[in-house]
Amino acid sequence: MILANYLVSALLFCAGLYTVLTRRNLIKMVMGLSLMESSTYLLFISMAYRSGSTAPVLLSPPNGQSPQQLAHGNGADPVLQNFCLTAIVIGVAVTAVFLTVVVRIAQHYRTLDADEIRELRG
Amino acid sequence: MTKTDPDPARISPRARAPREAVESEPRHRVVVGAVLTAGIAAALTAALVHLPREHAMLPQVARQALEVALPGWKLLEPVNEVVYGTRGFDTFGETFLLLAAVISVVVLSRSREARSGYFGEDVAGLREQARIDPDEPADTDERRARAAEDAEGEDENEEERRPGTPDAESIGTPAPEKAEAMSVVVRGAMRAATPILAVTGCYLVAWGYSPGGGFPGGAVALGVVMLVYAAFGRRRIQKVVRPSLLETIELAGAALIIATEALGLALKGSFSANWLPLEPEQTIRSGGVAQLFSAGELVEVGTGLTIAVFALLAMGHDWSPDESEEEEEENGDHSEADDADQGQEARR
Repeated sequence: MILANYLVSALLFCAGLYTVLTRRNLIKMVMGLSLMESSTYLLFISMAYRSGSTAPVLLSPPNGQSPQQLAHGNGADPVLQNFCLTAIVIGVAVTAVFLTVVVRIAQHYRTLDADEIRELRG
Repeated sequence: MTKTDPDPARISPRARAPREAVESEPRHRVVVGAVLTAGIAAALTAALVHLPREHAMLPQVARQALEVALPGWKLLEPVNEVVYGTRGFDTFGETFLLLAAVISVVVLSRSREARSGYFGEDVAGLREQARIDPDEPADTDERRARAAEDAEGEDENEEERRPGTPDAESIGTPAPEKAEAMSVVVRGAMRAATPILAVTGCYLVAWGYSPGGGFPGGAVALGVVMLVYAAFGRRRIQKVVRPSLLETIELAGAALIIATEALGLALKGSFSANWLPLEPEQTIRSGGVAQLFSAGELVEVGTGLTIAVFALLAMGHDWSPDESEEEEEENGDHSEADDADQGQEARR
């Protein structure tokens, strides 16, 4: 039942979204964004799964199958695993930038409450 | 700012104190947030239910990657083939997104001290601190604060006075340990573990036909640096982990990646095409240009993440001056909270 994985990833995404929308502590908002990122990792890895499949490694395929047979449904999807790798690296980079900005905001405004940082309001 | 129209953003922190003392933080627009989240959840569920499940056939791109990996690139691992071969251009862009993020972190975290090391915030403001009100006699508060500061020993002689490891400190000292390094147990464990970790990271990259590659390898390299920093303290790593060296290595890695990919355009007519002779599979050089890309990625990710982490760790204490005191005097009577606050102060 890989559908459960899909739905849990949607749940994770919504938990992160709700955090970002309702919390006003900047650190918690960054945590919400990280939660949304991690939901995409779960979705990619779940979408790559095929029932009874092996890891997409072509070294000695199981039961004497050839790489061509693996390609027809008996290995996990390597492209989606690659997407997941990409997403993790992007997620780390974005989180690092967010946290740096949050530290600078805290130092400048002396608060982490997004509602009190009003100088950007029109 | 007028007295009739106080800017709510500038109410003094003490006026907010009762609200902040509450354990649970305030949540804003809970209903709007819940409705929006429920809408997104419904849309996501509707979309995800129709995704291909575990019995579907692999999509065409995946089959292409699995079929092309061995004959086209001599790689036994299709994920590596996709990352550094078929979708090489995408990884190329991702590399420079990472580089841009690292540069943003470095620029945002840069403080006003001379950039000779990551850790310099304790000496950055020494001159300015010494200049504050030299004529005004110290009151009780200031004398107490200075005495406490001296007791902490946060001066420039501290480096020589404090022991290198906690093992050199006498047992039963009431103060917290001031040693930089951790105890002999941790240091012994790190001496045993870090070589294995470092070799594993390099192995992940060098044996490119097996799962691995530059991204996990770079993350392992960051882990090794962080473990050594935690166990041995910053003085043991500051000869290696310093901005000038790491940034040079990182940009050298970026140059290697650009050269690798652009040579494909020059020699083979397409960006990120393989221009190296393909070696037989299960050798270090199988995969041709993918291996070179992977090695460049190791350098790029390892140094980039290290730069970002240490830039964050060493961010200076550039706090803006606290204006609440003078504001209280200026407009202390425009809110009831401030009035109550001042009444309390008068009673004290």
